[in-house]
Amino acid sequence: MMLQDIALGLLTSNVSAITGSSRLIVDIAMYFGLFVIVAMALNFQYGNAGIPNMGCAVQVIMGGFTVSALTTRLIFIVVAGAGVQLRTWATDYDWVYNNFYNVDVTNKYLATKPVLGISMLLFSIAVSMVLGAVMGWLIALPAIRLRATYLMIVLITMADAAQIFGRNIVAISGGTLGMFIPDILRWYPGDRTVVTAVITLFLGLVSFFIFRTMLNSPYGRLMRALRENEVTVSSVGKNVIGIRRTILMFASGITAISGTLLAFYFSYVVEANYQRAFWTYWPWLMLILGGPGNNAGTFLGCALVTAMRRIIIVEKWLIESLFFFPVAYFESVLLGVLLIVVIMFRPNGLIPEKLLYIPGVNYTQMVREDVKVDWRSAPKARGSSSGLSGMLRSLGVGKKEAAE
Amino acid sequence: MKSIINPYRDNACGLKMIIPAIWLNALIFASELTLLSIGFTLTYLTAKVPNFAHGTYAGIGIYVSYTFSKILGLSPYIGYPVAFIIGGIVSVIIYVLVINVLTRMGGGAIVLTISTLAIQIFLGALIQIYAYWLLMRYGTYTQVFMLKDFDFQIGDFPGIFIVSMGLTIISVVLLHYMLTRTKIGVAMRATAEDPELASVLGININQIQIFSWFLTGGLACVAGAMIPLWFMATTTSGAAIITSIMAGSLLGGFDSVYGAVVGGFLVGLSEVMLTTWGQQIIGVWVGEYRPLVPMIFLVAVLLVEPEGLQGAYNKFMASERGGKLLQSIGLKKKED
Repeated sequence: MMLQDIALGLLTSNVSAITGSSRLIVDIAMYFGLFVIVAMALNFQYGNAGIPNMGCAVQVIMGGFTVSALTTRLIFIVVAGAGVQLRTWATDYDWVYNNFYNVDVTNKYLATKPVLGISMLLFSIAVSMVLGAVMGWLIALPAIRLRATYLMIVLITMADAAQIFGRNIVAISGGTLGMFIPDILRWYPGDRTVVTAVITLFLGLVSFFIFRTMLNSPYGRLMRALRENEVTVSSVGKNVIGIRRTILMFASGITAISGTLLAFYFSYVVEANYQRAFWTYWPWLMLILGGPGNNAGTFLGCALVTAMRRIIIVEKWLIESLFFFPVAYFESVLLGVLLIVVIMFRPNGLIPEKLLYIPGVNYTQMVREDVKVDWRSAPKARGSSSGLSGMLRSLGVGKKEAAE
Repeated sequence: MKSIINPYRDNACGLKMIIPAIWLNALIFASELTLLSIGFTLTYLTAKVPNFAHGTYAGIGIYVSYTFSKILGLSPYIGYPVAFIIGGIVSVIIYVLVINVLTRMGGGAIVLTISTLAIQIFLGALIQIYAYWLLMRYGTYTQVFMLKDFDFQIGDFPGIFIVSMGLTIISVVLLHYMLTRTKIGVAMRATAEDPELASVLGININQIQIFSWFLTGGLACVAGAMIPLWFMATTTSGAAIITSIMAGSLLGGFDSVYGAVVGGFLVGLSEVMLTTWGQQIIGVWVGEYRPLVPMIFLVAVLLVEPEGLQGAYNKFMASERGGKLLQSIGLKKKED
């Protein structure tokens, strides 16, 4: 029944087809997709490279601002160039107060232009990735060379700075009022939110597999080495600062996509939607709960936390009578308590980090047997088939020795 | 310029001749921030964790003041000792239940920092719940308030000016005395330098840690209790001040108490003064960007001199010119 409703929403423009628990499922799917992107990028940075990126909110907000400041203007210019009469948007005042009319007219125009809609979606995603990466470079600039603590402090404060700019520079996202953005999926007959949720889930899965592949590549092993001991990494000639900056920029670019998709989901951008607690602390909880350094764990943590949060928010009238205070405060209490409890009682998360997967090498066995080897009685142990030398010989490295 | 709306300018008592009202704002804020920065730095020194919950202690202090003045009808100054004790106890509970356990588990700096963030979220929510409860129970407006009416005046000076400046100066002097002359202060410094060596010498590190957490929590709570007497306070103003605290501490050098005194005072002073001057010269809209001032300090310090004022001082004193300066004062003997 529920699936039928969602299928209906995918195919028809009947918004009322999706109600109740079906709407909740769409909502959870949407936020799950968004948070998979953010949390996987966090896992990439903190779980594997040891960079504590506390500034996810900045990158997400860059995605939102890309849509409101650049994509919307571009669509207006294109639509006005096509001959549709739009009201002026030159000044800040016009930008905000003619916004609704302009978006309404633009939506009618976009209803017949699927190519324009799709190209604008791709444009915003591409630009937000670039801007997110630039932002990652910028906010990392003061502290990337210093202790991790300094980096955390700078990144946390930058989230507030981004919100202050968004609130006061009206040209970006309409200031405190926020602004509507054109519905680029208007040409599609189905429900916009469901389609956006499907796109988001798809992009979330794509980013999941991109990160997974990268972590199993030589670069992923380099990242883990960087996390474990940066002195060793730099001693073998790797540029530690450069690697760290590259990782931060790459992950920031990916994170910015989620802000773009959120803007299209709401068809509305306001800086208050991109709060630090929402876009930094909750992803961190997902990461720590699932298990830092483990992709599957992050995925699981994401699913659990998102489902719990959306159910609490949507069905809050069920538990409202339990508290004498608003449920919104309870959410913060829950966030704080969960973070502390997970850190204290399950520091490795629900699924602890596993050993690396290297094609062709049984790394697990190698580590296990390497631990057993007593190097004080070295000559005999090295000659045997166990231990590191045995492993090397099985790879063909020690063959010459063995022949001799 | 008359067009600027400055609520402090017109009702700010008749001492415009001695100290302009803007400077009054700046000095009060700076002295409060100095107290907070000292505590933040002390925590960082002894526990090696940047305590993000430090600003939230100030939030607790704000509501202690509120309870004493609006609910109990007393002077908020009577609440200061209570605020000190409450802040200290909260801080010690945090240390014993979370920080100490995590340190023993071998959590690194990042894990400890995240745990303090979690504590900040938790305490902030508790403050909001308390404010909501007061609102429901007593019907007083608890979300945004100011307690200027409960202040006293000595001559032209508002009481909070004298109290905040006095309390800050007294605590700085007492701290200096404690850290250099008393046994517990020396033990604290030893613990900060090298915990293992300190414990070898017979110092009970756990007790020293608990003492320093109590002290910092109490100081922060008292500093918070002073905020609503002159500035507008909200449920989240405690959490919002943490950026200024960190900027002050970082400007001082992050692990130097004396640096934190100077840094906190400078950041507090410039946060108010730069905003006010910006409003006068550029336009009123600059006021919205006030939270950016400590962030600019953070970034500038990290870019120019990550060691802060203490590091710059050390470098200068180690250099040739610094040596000459010391010689001319007579603090350093001439090398032959």
